[in-house]
Amino acid sequence: MAKAGGERMLVSRIEEGTVIDHIPDWRADTVSRVLRLDKLARMQADISVVILQNVSSKGLGRKDIIKIDRWHVDERDADILCLVFPGITVNYIDEGKVSKYAPRVPDTIEGRLRCPELNCISNAEREPVTTRFVTLKKESVLQCQYCDALLGFEKVPDHVRT
Amino acid sequence: MGPSADFLGRDIVSARDFKRDQYDEILRSVEDLEKNGVSLDGALKGKIAALLFFEPSTRTYSSFQIAADKLGMTVSGFAGPTGSSITKGETLHDTVRMFEGYGADVFVIRHSKMGAARFAAEISDVPVISAGDGSREHPTQAMVDLYAIKKAFGRIDGLKVGMLGDLRYGRTSSSLAYALSNFDVEITFIAPEALQMRPEVSHFLRERGVAPRTAAALKDVAGSLDVLYVTRIQKERIPDPTEYEKVKGLYEVNLEALRDAKPSLKVLHPLPRVDELSTEIDETNYAQYFVQAAGGLPLRMALLNLILGGVR
Repeated sequence: MAKAGGERMLVSRIEEGTVIDHIPDWRADTVSRVLRLDKLARMQADISVVILQNVSSKGLGRKDIIKIDRWHVDERDADILCLVFPGITVNYIDEGKVSKYAPRVPDTIEGRLRCPELNCISNAEREPVTTRFVTLKKESVLQCQYCDALLGFEKVPDHVRT
Repeated sequence: MGPSADFLGRDIVSARDFKRDQYDEILRSVEDLEKNGVSLDGALKGKIAALLFFEPSTRTYSSFQIAADKLGMTVSGFAGPTGSSITKGETLHDTVRMFEGYGADVFVIRHSKMGAARFAAEISDVPVISAGDGSREHPTQAMVDLYAIKKAFGRIDGLKVGMLGDLRYGRTSSSLAYALSNFDVEITFIAPEALQMRPEVSHFLRERGVAPRTAAALKDVAGSLDVLYVTRIQKERIPDPTEYEKVKGLYEVNLEALRDAKPSLKVLHPLPRVDELSTEIDETNYAQYFVQAAGGLPLRMALLNLILGGVR
């Protein structure tokens, strides 16, 4: 039996979909932004999202959890998430069976982020440029491969392409 | 000189992409042309140079145009957005594809957006030379600058180089800093805090083991420099106008500012200048900027020849 306020008290398990766990407390909105969960609304699919905030956690004391019923988060998006929240875990659920995915800091990120440099060619109107960033892991920054601008991992959520 | 395995078919989009022996090779090539009687006239006859200047330019455009002419190339393109299809809103992407269809053998591109040259190089199957992209880089200017330093001192190693002015938005300064990181030089960035070198440039230099110093005013370091590279501080770059009035005097290069300078100091400037470099320097031994500017033509001839494999 979970403690009062624990996730089990609040929502039942899902049979198909994704559970993002070990999100720092009160940061689920940032995860939602990085994963662009708002796009699910446009898909008009039969997808439900449950966001649990400030639930008790053995390791973290308190944490957030996001459960997405009937939708699998792209692994590449999960990897981007781990730039901001290195401790995050992703569980994919297929027919009730759980497989864990450990997000890794990606070497390159293509197309998913905007360059912070407004004057970068990748932000130019109508030019068909796909953004490309290389990860400088030691410095915890991404570098735009067009204009060389640097983007700190912590600022990634503000530069997710909508 | 040329064709060269290191340069043949190669894009010139960033001064970061080249190593010491490649800079040495290009400098040797220009010397061959200027001093050793090598002629490249007509060496690239039948080839087409597409000069796409999305931003107006006088000296860079002209030097590439004359260089290509002397090499015997057919020159096509435009010197600025006015009168070109750019004013109708044509993209860089489409313009490159179109000129490639016309048989361009090389592109020379100036654009206001940072990274435009790299993007063009991805689109194009033929080499792309950046003639300046936004405030990011101007790699061939860095080669011109190195050549001017080499001409003045016979070497680049062992020199103390001060770079002054708008280092954050000045594309020539970043390219020169990248290029100089291949040489044994001491670099000092002289600029107000708001216009100090961009973090990615400093980061690259540190990775290369170069630790640039910074100074807030020229007078603090003028006496120790061998080379002073001057760039203009644009008023509009400093958010607070009163701040601009306060700092501009600290970065004006005149005889008074160079009072403590070594007699052998050489002052460089990518030009055009406005108020930051006094004409009273012109007739002194410090002035190297007109020699520097003149080097733009042979350097661009030598570079085109190396890339397109003209005279061996």
